[in-house]
Amino acid sequence: MPMKIGERSFDNRVKQGIDNTFMRDAVSSAQARFQSNKAKAEEQLGHWEEWRELSEEIRAHTLENLDFYLEQLSENVTKNGGHVFFASTGEEANDYVKKIAQEKKAKKVIKAKSMVTEEISMNEAFESVGCEVIESDLGEYILQLDDHDPPSHIVTPALHKNKEQIRETFANLKGYEKTSKPEELAQFAREQLREEFLTADIGVTGCNFAVAESGSVALVTNEGNARLSTTIPKTHIAVMGMERIVPTWEELEVLVTMLCRSAVGQKLTSYVTGLSGPREEGDLDGPEEFHLVIVDNGRSNILGTAFQSALHCIRCAACINVCPVYRHVGGHSYGSIYPGPIGAVLTPLLEGYDDHKDLPYASSLCAACTDACPVKIPLHELLIEHRKVITEQEKMTTLSERFAMKGFGMLASSPALFHMAEQAAPAMMSPFTKNGKIESGPGPLKDWTNVRDFPVPEKESFRKWFQNRGKEES
Amino acid sequence: MKVSLFITCLGDVFYPGVGKDVVEILERQGCEVEFPDAQTCCGQPAYNSGYHKEAKKAAKHMIKTFDSAEYVVAPSGSCAAMFREYEHLLEDDPAWKERARELREKTYEFTQFLVRVLKVESTGAVLHANATYHSSCHMSRLLRETEAPFRLLSNVEGLTLHELPNKNDCCGFGGTFAVKMGAISEQMVEEKVEHVEETGAEILIGADSGCLMNIGGRLQRGGKPVKIMHIAQVLNSRE
Amino acid sequence: MAKGTVQNQDAFLQNIADKLGRERRSEGVKRPQYKHSPQHDILRGATIKEMVEVLKEQCLAIHTDVKESSKADLENVLEEVMKEYGADKAVAWDDPRFTEYGLESFLQRPNMTIWGSGPDEDNIRITEQAEAGITFADYTLAESGTVVLMNGGGRGQSVSLLPTYYIAIIPYSTIVPRITQAAGEIHRRVEKGERIPSCINFISGPSNSADIEMNLVVGVHGPVRACYILVDDM
Ligand code: SF4
Repeated sequence: MPMKIGERSFDNRVKQGIDNTFMRDAVSSAQARFQSNKAKAEEQLGHWEEWRELSEEIRAHTLENLDFYLEQLSENVTKNGGHVFFASTGEEANDYVKKIAQEKKAKKVIKAKSMVTEEISMNEAFESVGCEVIESDLGEYILQLDDHDPPSHIVTPALHKNKEQIRETFANLKGYEKTSKPEELAQFAREQLREEFLTADIGVTGCNFAVAESGSVALVTNEGNARLSTTIPKTHIAVMGMERIVPTWEELEVLVTMLCRSAVGQKLTSYVTGLSGPREEGDLDGPEEFHLVIVDNGRSNILGTAFQSALHCIRCAACINVCPVYRHVGGHSYGSIYPGPIGAVLTPLLEGYDDHKDLPYASSLCAACTDACPVKIPLHELLIEHRKVITEQEKMTTLSERFAMKGFGMLASSPALFHMAEQAAPAMMSPFTKNGKIESGPGPLKDWTNVRDFPVPEKESFRKWFQNRGKEES
Repeated sequence: MKVSLFITCLGDVFYPGVGKDVVEILERQGCEVEFPDAQTCCGQPAYNSGYHKEAKKAAKHMIKTFDSAEYVVAPSGSCAAMFREYEHLLEDDPAWKERARELREKTYEFTQFLVRVLKVESTGAVLHANATYHSSCHMSRLLRETEAPFRLLSNVEGLTLHELPNKNDCCGFGGTFAVKMGAISEQMVEEKVEHVEETGAEILIGADSGCLMNIGGRLQRGGKPVKIMHIAQVLNSRE
Repeated sequence: MAKGTVQNQDAFLQNIADKLGRERRSEGVKRPQYKHSPQHDILRGATIKEMVEVLKEQCLAIHTDVKESSKADLENVLEEVMKEYGADKAVAWDDPRFTEYGLESFLQRPNMTIWGSGPDEDNIRITEQAEAGITFADYTLAESGTVVLMNGGGRGQSVSLLPTYYIAIIPYSTIVPRITQAAGEIHRRVEKGERIPSCINFISGPSNSADIEMNLVVGVHGPVRACYILVDDM
């Protein structure tokens, strides 16, 4: 699955999202649950702001010295006996893993959830060389069975589906006969997937954090599928976005704390696993071969720009879980595997504005995302920054908007003009005024009055009142 | 104490009554209120839309306008927050940046000014009503002022304040967002209206005219009997 | 262990340096003195007794059964847990602590396999068929209810993963406040130039998922139940 999902226009996607009441109910109750779990986790931890500042500091330092830490990582992975491949593009990464699959004559690949492999369509790459790819994360498994429905959330990818839909999918495609109880559905997936784990040739995982000092890859999961993917198959390929790295285990610990609490409100998820190379002499499980694929795929273009902090993201989805826009339109409306505020920031950076120029405007700039982010990425400011690039560099806004804004600049810096406009307002609006309100406004006001009334300008502005008052007094 | 009032565009044209209440309350607290006549708009519509050249013009003009002010007070968390954004906007120009910093340090939202600077806890207001309060995003998250309005409202005689469910959610105003992303904004304001109705309040109070105009406009369109009031109006009530 | 290969490193890293607008950095980077260190304040100075209480409390939250035992009584408690779970076939780590804790005869029980006692593939198959996997904890994190396993050799990572139930024996002496102390210890080993195990697990209870309508389901791909046996060894 590539990063971009679907071909419909943004407006169409939004309309479809808004009309999907089931999905909206599901998202809304999930958000409520996520939010209260996170709030509890923050409170239990205490000193949340200090933790955030520490985390931000760690991320900023690491990104500022990314070349250094990646080199250290690579050195240590190879010392541990693992192989490292630096991929500038998704294509290079895919070519590399295809070669491994062919060398191993692999028939079956078992995958744990990984956003970066989605981003670069790695599944298709394996399939093109005759490998069957099986997603083992419960949510991803459901989506894969359901004709590759795209994920709508970066932590719980099947958030938009209800259990009845899942039961149907299992029944139609896998002969499932039980009820739609989540326990039974999960039990069924466990049984279905166990044998796949035992017979897979290659396990593919993402990487929540790589640790430079020891050449380790840390995986943070609840289901245990990432552990299975890295314990049984003979070959393990870990794929990481190049920014997902920390200097040492001391930083790892802090960010894992923040990730677990922010993503799911847990102190730690059931499994946090640190993998440092392939199995050693005398080990009887774990992969015999370990490959780390470090992917750039547009990320380096973000370095050194006003958007650099977007690379601090630890993919916890806290910003998505508080976003009111996401709540109403759902993940698929973003047209990207990265939805929500971070998706609106990241997608245009990685894929350009052409297909995604609406995303930075899909926010009321309420800053709930910025407040939620455990590594203090100023998400709403980055959205404004995008708008600035779209207007000033890409020149993608409409002529009428540019004209209006030019006018605004003149008015706002010239008191005389500004006062004239203010004075003209009541007269200008009077044709549209009925019963002391405006129900159908002209021009851009129409979009306002489509859904709500607009107030009528008062005859006497505050300014006038204040001036007259002064005269009366003196 | 001399206070320079920044009335804001909406306050000047649509809600002049709010400004009058602000002036009366401040004067009763012994402030001398002045109104720099050259003031225009804080520039937020342009800033948020990415037109930073235009926003800078507005910013510089406002900095000049309020240069000699001792305190700047605005009956809007959002517009006050925009003043605080100037430093960032004018980052590339050290001299202007410094002037922006000076402006930031003396700028307050109205209730914030009452509580933090004047140390006022009660304005002696009386309002017999059931009400709920909508915290604007910019006031609570950008200005980080979450207490002042509640402290003042808790001392209004006769006022029963019901907590608004999901009180941290945006109402869907967002300036140009309300028209540019009308379909989404509609869902957000509708949700907010539902929450307001759940409280059973007859009055919705807010400290930002933009939010009030948005929620109020939706309430009115739906024929809902909930009245909107700016917090300055409540704090100056004698009913 | 033979050193692995690296491809495309130089161009890749040079590009990063270019984008950051500076020369490539290959050495001399020091970690900053971080402004805050809240991680060290959690359960600072707590006694073992206090940490045991925190741990027990946390086990409720992570759906993990807890038993307490003396060293002498450990075998009985283990048998008890096996009975409760209806488990018969079991796999245990090849770990001298079993002997230290007087569990020789427990290891002799029928249907008990010691990891590493069969040929390679068999170990995984046998473990996959087992009802219970039993290991000691190397560190135990009070705050999060986590056992830390330094796998390798006779300590197969499969033992805590493949069986239906997972039983962890937790000597009091392994208990530390939180992940900070365990990670700090691993960091110090790395700094000293030691090789750390190729697989280190932090396990907090049974596997679970909330992927279906945000309902918590306990027991997905890993064990469906977990039991911690706390042993006072101090
Ligand atoms: S931007 Fe922040 S809140 Fe959003 S996913 Fe990334 S780390 Fe989490």
